[in-house]
This record gives sequence, structure tokens and C-alpha cells, in this order.
Amino acid sequence: MEHFFLNIAHSLIVWLMGLGLSSKGADLVLLIVQWICIVAIVTINVIVLIWLERKVAGFMQQRLGPNRLGPAGMFQTIADAIKLLTKEDIIPSAADRIIFRTAPIFFIIIAVMLYVVLPMGDGMQIVDLNVGVFYFISVASLSTICLLMAGWGSNNKWSLLGAMRSVAQMISYEIPLAFSLLGVIMIAGSLSLSDIVAAQNNIWFIILQPVAFITFFIAATAELNRGPFDMPEAEQELTAGAYTEYTGMRWALFFLAEYTNLVAVSALASTMFLGGWHGPWLPSWIWIIIKTYLVMLIFMWMKWTFPRIRMDHLMSFSWKVLIPVTLANILVTGAGIQFLAGMGW
Amino acid sequence: MLRTEQFTINIGPQHPSTHGGLHVEAVMDGEFIVDAIVHLGYVHRSVEKIAESRTYPQYVPYTSRLDYLASHLPTLGYCQAVEKMLGVAVPERAEYIRIIMAEFSRIASHLLFIGSCAIDLGATTGLIYCLRDRERIMDMFEMTSGQRLIASYMRIGGVSEDLPDTFIPAARSFIADFPEMIAEYDGLIIGNEILQARLKGVGRLNADDAIAYGVSGPNLRACGIDYDIRKAEPYGIYDRFDFTVPLAENGDSWDRLLVRMEEMQQSIHIIEQALNQLPEGEVKAKVPRIIKPAEGIEVYHRIESSKGELGYYIVADGGEKPYRLHVRAPSFINLMVLPMISKGGKLQDIIANIATLDPVLGESDR
Amino acid sequence: MKGQGLLKGLYITLKRAVGKDITIQYPEQMPYLQDRFRGCLHFDYTKCIVCGLCTKACPNNVLSYESRQVEGSKKKELVSYTIDLQYCLFCNLCVEACPTNTLYFTHDFELSRYQRDQIKIVYEIPKEEPSAVKVDLKGDAPEPDETKKEKQLAAMTAALQKNPQKTVRKMVENDEDAEILAGILLEDEQKLSRMAALMIADREKAKKVAVAFVNKEKKDRLKGGGAEDESK
Repeated sequence: MEHFFLNIAHSLIVWLMGLGLSSKGADLVLLIVQWICIVAIVTINVIVLIWLERKVAGFMQQRLGPNRLGPAGMFQTIADAIKLLTKEDIIPSAADRIIFRTAPIFFIIIAVMLYVVLPMGDGMQIVDLNVGVFYFISVASLSTICLLMAGWGSNNKWSLLGAMRSVAQMISYEIPLAFSLLGVIMIAGSLSLSDIVAAQNNIWFIILQPVAFITFFIAATAELNRGPFDMPEAEQELTAGAYTEYTGMRWALFFLAEYTNLVAVSALASTMFLGGWHGPWLPSWIWIIIKTYLVMLIFMWMKWTFPRIRMDHLMSFSWKVLIPVTLANILVTGAGIQFLAGMGW
Repeated sequence: MLRTEQFTINIGPQHPSTHGGLHVEAVMDGEFIVDAIVHLGYVHRSVEKIAESRTYPQYVPYTSRLDYLASHLPTLGYCQAVEKMLGVAVPERAEYIRIIMAEFSRIASHLLFIGSCAIDLGATTGLIYCLRDRERIMDMFEMTSGQRLIASYMRIGGVSEDLPDTFIPAARSFIADFPEMIAEYDGLIIGNEILQARLKGVGRLNADDAIAYGVSGPNLRACGIDYDIRKAEPYGIYDRFDFTVPLAENGDSWDRLLVRMEEMQQSIHIIEQALNQLPEGEVKAKVPRIIKPAEGIEVYHRIESSKGELGYYIVADGGEKPYRLHVRAPSFINLMVLPMISKGGKLQDIIANIATLDPVLGESDR
Repeated sequence: MKGQGLLKGLYITLKRAVGKDITIQYPEQMPYLQDRFRGCLHFDYTKCIVCGLCTKACPNNVLSYESRQVEGSKKKELVSYTIDLQYCLFCNLCVEACPTNTLYFTHDFELSRYQRDQIKIVYEIPKEEPSAVKVDLKGDAPEPDETKKEKQLAAMTAALQKNPQKTVRKMVENDEDAEILAGILLEDEQKLSRMAALMIADREKAKKVAVAFVNKEKKDRLKGGGAEDESK
């Protein structure tokens, strides 16, 4: 079981080479297969996640959540997707059509790009970049541009307000997000995600870096535009924020991308702090799924409990609290590493 | 330096947190409110004009539709106003039932206030918990009057039917469970630091302005002015009950929330006393089937509704129907301070202000 | 300490998430309704004394009725009673006004209809058998079964053949017209059966058709008369 997917990949390459392909060509085909797999995983995940989110929200609110279609309402999301697909695609007459149309597409592409570096099991990584964490953060921050495109292209004041909020928020929260990961990187001594997972063989970094985990978690919530930091959407204030003018599948693409981001960031959190694919008894890829879903459940739990924070509080919280705390954490971590090295560990 | 421009944004009439059909035209400078203009009339049903074509008893169901979130209160005000015109004495038991119903209405309205305040600030779950508990009050209304929301239970001269046997146990069990509910709201909504940060110091209304604008009810008491019509000019049998008027100091959104939380406790206290003192007897006075107050009688009667001073001004012309009826709607007058308290705040503050001013558009547009 | 309130909130939602749900699965599980619940307004024909208090009490002209004087007595008799539920405020004033408990609220709260005119409830009392109340509940009210329809049709046809003038009297304005119509119907069997079917299915339409028949006949007679005159 442990090497189930690796074996499939290996046999695929062997088969392709047997057909007379060069090793580079076989790798290329494998890469395409992997991409298709990622898109499939993402789509299935989103369907499950929307259902899960509704169920979680329902249970917290003493409701049952969706329960009409399929076992425990599992097919509700599929029905919704069909509904969205068949909806009329409305583009406002005053919209900037090119920007309006491309924004959701870029958003989903960027979200899928994050999966390149995520280790989904022991050795199950598409590309083991030696700057994996750096790649992840920089690609994740690109999604701001898509929200800005959506807000600007819609030519709607609510959308623009939402987009501007998202830009301000992302810029402020990129920094604590990166800083809180720095502590982990310092201990692991590498930017490569597989090295970081390997460094957690004995002890998870959540124990060594509890403060960093909390700051990372908060910053990630803001980065994901999830409640209580869902400024760009802010249903009660901005109607639907940057997505106000979107209908049908374009709107659904935004949702798809948001949930894709959620999975990616949760997977990153479990990789960086919760020991990645390490775990007893079960195969490594099951462990990462369990950990990712646990992190996502906490995200959902927070979203359905807290009220939305105010924009200026959000900013001052980032600049006045999170950044100093993360900087102090880096300082303490660095001093600790030096001290322990001096002690001869 | 980049050139910036002010822009106008229409909050409502179709907007998730405008409590019905409120339309606020906000002039914005980025996220900041420069000016706000309240446009009303989207829920206008000409309730006052309808009164001129209905007989006095026929108008009772329409009053329920003014403040539909606390439907017993406007009905109580109207019935008492007509009784004042006719000089009808209401039986003791009916008076007590009216007080119990009115205070339960107040609690129902305030529960929805807290819930809608929570959801307007983004905490969806808070609303559901408040609605869950409000549902128990609605069940009690259904027991007594047969309708949950728009009860039209009060009649001129009393109430339509006596309390059923199931009512008193249900009321007592609600009172017994109430501290638990309050603890839950305290934990989930009131105690939440994000919510506190969003409400404290926001939408500050000072006492002088509040009086000048004619603000009443919990919004006025949040400014520190001790004015409650139940105390200042007791109507019905309110002078028999022991309760305090909760006050706050700052007049900001947070105080408006706290005052209402405390008011619910006081309402529970009043209901407890009323249940203990509840006498036996008739529930409806002998009132002629056709009510014809003499020509020239004018009456103004006001009650402390859950939103503030709810007044009815009725002029009779000797016929079966009122010559003119005017409703002094507290929501309408309270809403008028919205531009003043929102100026200089952020877009998110104006949402919080609308939520904590607690307008009911059915009442303010009439 | 800052953050305590947040943790408490999280604890409360977690506690509720694992706790019991409060919702009712509505279409499968009907909500518990209190005794006094006011759902659909109903009318009991047998008790009505045609006093008119309900229509006077109603604030919104929901109720209306048609009555006629019982021959040789001061008593009134009900012909039809209409409850136009779309205007109903469910305020209970008519029920309180009624001295004989003729009007009452049932617990049926599913009052939605697909068409606006379907929500009107009309109680029609056939003249022949006052005991048999015909409830013309339009909309999704159960359709009378085929045999019943056929029986009704047969009865109506028989009545038309036996005593046409009296049967069609209500369809037209005066006795003279009724006589004319009776003549037409007796002459033409096809017309008779069509009329019978219409009178059962749709009285209004039947009336219109009847009037049209009479008018045509009158016209024909006039023409015929004129032609005769000319020929003379």
C-alpha cells in the first residue's frame, strides 16, 4: 500500500520506455498524467469539501446540513455544479470583458500550480524544488492579482471594494505568513518541502514552533480569504465582494479555486508543522490526507464561529501584532539553535 | 500624489444586511463614509391610510404587521389607545396576559436583534442559536393566539382568548432555561473579542443629539438617559411590577447591544412576577360590537415598544372608522440618526450601526 | 486574557456540533401544531344561519356569500359561500364573530397553489339537494372519479329532458329566455348533452353558452319573422 502510487508511476514509465520512448519523453507523459491526476483530485476534493463545509456548518448550527440527495446529501454539490453549469453566463455590459473573463481562469490555474511542490506521501512529489516553500508562497500571493482583475473587470463598486480589500489584506498577511515559516526553515535548514518533512522524523515542528504555527494559521486564514478574514467576499457588507457580478460557472470557478487553495494551504500546514506524511501504521499518503482534512476542519470551525474582523483591525493586527511576534519567534529560534549548537547537540 | 475621488454606493434596498427594504445612499471615500442618506418607503403599505377605511376592531390585525418582530406590542398600543377613547376598563386577568405577551414579544424582538447583529457582523451561527430560542417564544404565541409571528391576539377590551393550560408550564420552562441561553450568547457573541472590537466606540450617539432627534427606547437608554415609558408614564399595570431600567453610558453600538441584553433579563423578571400574580377571571371586557367613539375625540397613547416609543394618535369623527390615525414609529425616528453616527466611520461600521439601531422597516415605512 | 472569548466561542460551537439537532425534516415529518393554530379557513355549510356577521367582521373582504329568501318565510338560505384566501390576514376576527361556529381554522397550512385563482375556495350549494354540499375546491382538490361524473351527467341530462324550463332557469335572465332555451335543447339532442356537461363542469361557461343560444334563436326568429312579413 505504501508505494501503491509510486509503483503505478514506475510501471507506467517502464511501459512507456518499452514502447520505445526516450526517458525524457516518458517523464513528460508522466508529468501530464500527474497534472490530470491533480486536477481530478482537486475537483473531487472540492465536491467533498463543499459538502463537508455545509455539514460542519449545519452541525454547529444544530441543523443536519444537506441530506436530500444521495447518501447523507453527498450528491448535493454535484447537483449544484450541474445547476451552475446550466446557468446563464451574464457579463455586465460595462465590464472589461477580457479581464472579467480571464480572472477566474487565472485564479484556478494559480491554485492548481501550488500542488507542484506539495509532497503527497513518501516520495510522492511532482517536483522536489530546493526552494519549495519559497515557490509556494510566491505563487500563492499571485491570486491577489486575480481578485483584483475580477473586481476591476466587473466595473462594480462593490466588486472593486472587495478587490481592494483583498489586495491590502494579502500584502499585509504575506509577510507574517512567510516569517512564521522561517522558524521552521531555520530548524530544518532547507527550503525544500521533502527535506522539511524528513527533518520531522523524530519530532513535529508544531512542538518546536508552537507560536509560529498559530501565527501561520492566522495568516493563512487571511491568505485564504476565509472567515473571520473573508474581506474580499464579506457577504454581509459587500454583497459578494469581488464575485458580485459573476454568474454560473465563472462564479463556480472562483469557488473551486478557493477550495483548492484551502486544500493546498492545509496540506502545507500539515507538511510544515504536523510532520507531513510521517505517521505510524498507515501508508504515508493516507496520513497526509488525514492531517490535511483535520486542518481544514479547524478552518471551517473558525469560519462558522467568528464574526468578521474589521478592515482596519485586520491591518493593525497584522502589522502591530503578527509581524512583531513572528520576528521575535525568528529571533528566539535563531538564538535557540545557536545555543543548542553551542551545547554540542 | 494620486488623485482620489469620492463615490456613491447604494447599500440596499437589495442588500443582505439592511433588514428588509432599507436603502442607504452612502458617499464614500475609499472605505470611509463621508455622508449617508437614508431613503425609506420600500415597505410602504399605507397602514395609516388603511385605518381610515377599517372599523376600529378590524384594524387590530394591521397593527400586528407594523413591528412584525414583536407583534404583540403594536397591537397592545393600538388596543389601549382605543380603550382610552372609549373609557373601557380591561379585566385584571387580561391586563396580566397582555403584560406577559408584551414582554415575551420584547424578548423575541431582542433575541432576533442579537442574532441579526451577529450575522450582520459575519457570525452566522449566532443567529441560528438566537432563532432557536426565539422559536420557543413563537411556540407560546402559537399556543395562545394560533399564530406564530403576526399574532393579532389583543382585542379592544382584552385579549381574544384565555391562556391555554399548556402556556404557563411552557413559559416557566422558558424562564428556567433563560440563564443558560444568555450564557450561550455571552460565550459565542457578546464575549467574542472580534465582535467587541467591531462595536466598541462605533456609531457613537451622544445624549443631547439623541434627545434632539427624538431617539427612544434602548437606543436612548444606551446614551445614559433614564427614560422608559413603562416607568415614566406607566400604562396598563406596569406600575405594579418591580424592574429596573438598564442604562449604559457611551451610546455606541456596543452599549446598544448590552442594554438590550440586560432588558431581556428585566423582561423575564416582569414575566415571572406577572405569572405569580396572575388572577382568574374574564379576559375580555364587554365592548359593543360596533365601536363609535364620539366626534372630536382625539387620543394619543404611547407604549414602550421593543424599539422605543410607539405612539398612536387617533382622531374620531363619530363614525365606525377612525378619521385619522397616525403611528409614531420608533424605528423611523431612530433611523434618522444613522447618517450622523455613521459619518467618518467605515463601511463595516455602517452595517454595524444599522444592526444595532434595530430598525424594523415594516414599522418605519408603515 | 485576549483570545479567551474566541476560545469559548469555539468551545460552544463544538459542543453544539456534537450535540443533538433541532430541525424537523418537514415534508416527511410534520411540525407539531398547537390546538389553536390557524391554518386554512374552513366553512361548515350545515351550521350557517346567513347572519352576515363574518363578512362584516372581516377587515379585508375575504368572505362573501350569496343568499336568497326562502319562499314563504323570513329565513334566508345560502346559495354559495366564497373564501378568497389570498387576501386573508388569518386574524381570527370572523371566527370570533360567528355565532354558530360555522367558520373554523384547520391545521392545514400548505396553502400554496400554482395559479392565483386556485386559492379561492367556493362552497356551492345545489338547489335540488341542500344536504349534499358540493365543495368546489379548485386547484389540487381531488377530482371526482369518472363514474361519479357520468352519474352526474346522466342525472343532468334526464333533468333537462324531463323539465327543461326549470332546470335552465338559473342560466338565463327571465322565464321567456328559459322557455326559448328549453325549446332549443329539446329540439337538438347534441346541444342538450353539451349543455348538461357544461352545467356540471363550468356553470359560468354554461351561462354564457346559454345566453348565446338564446340570443341566436331570438335573432333567427326576428329574421324569420321579417322574412315571413316580406313574403306576405
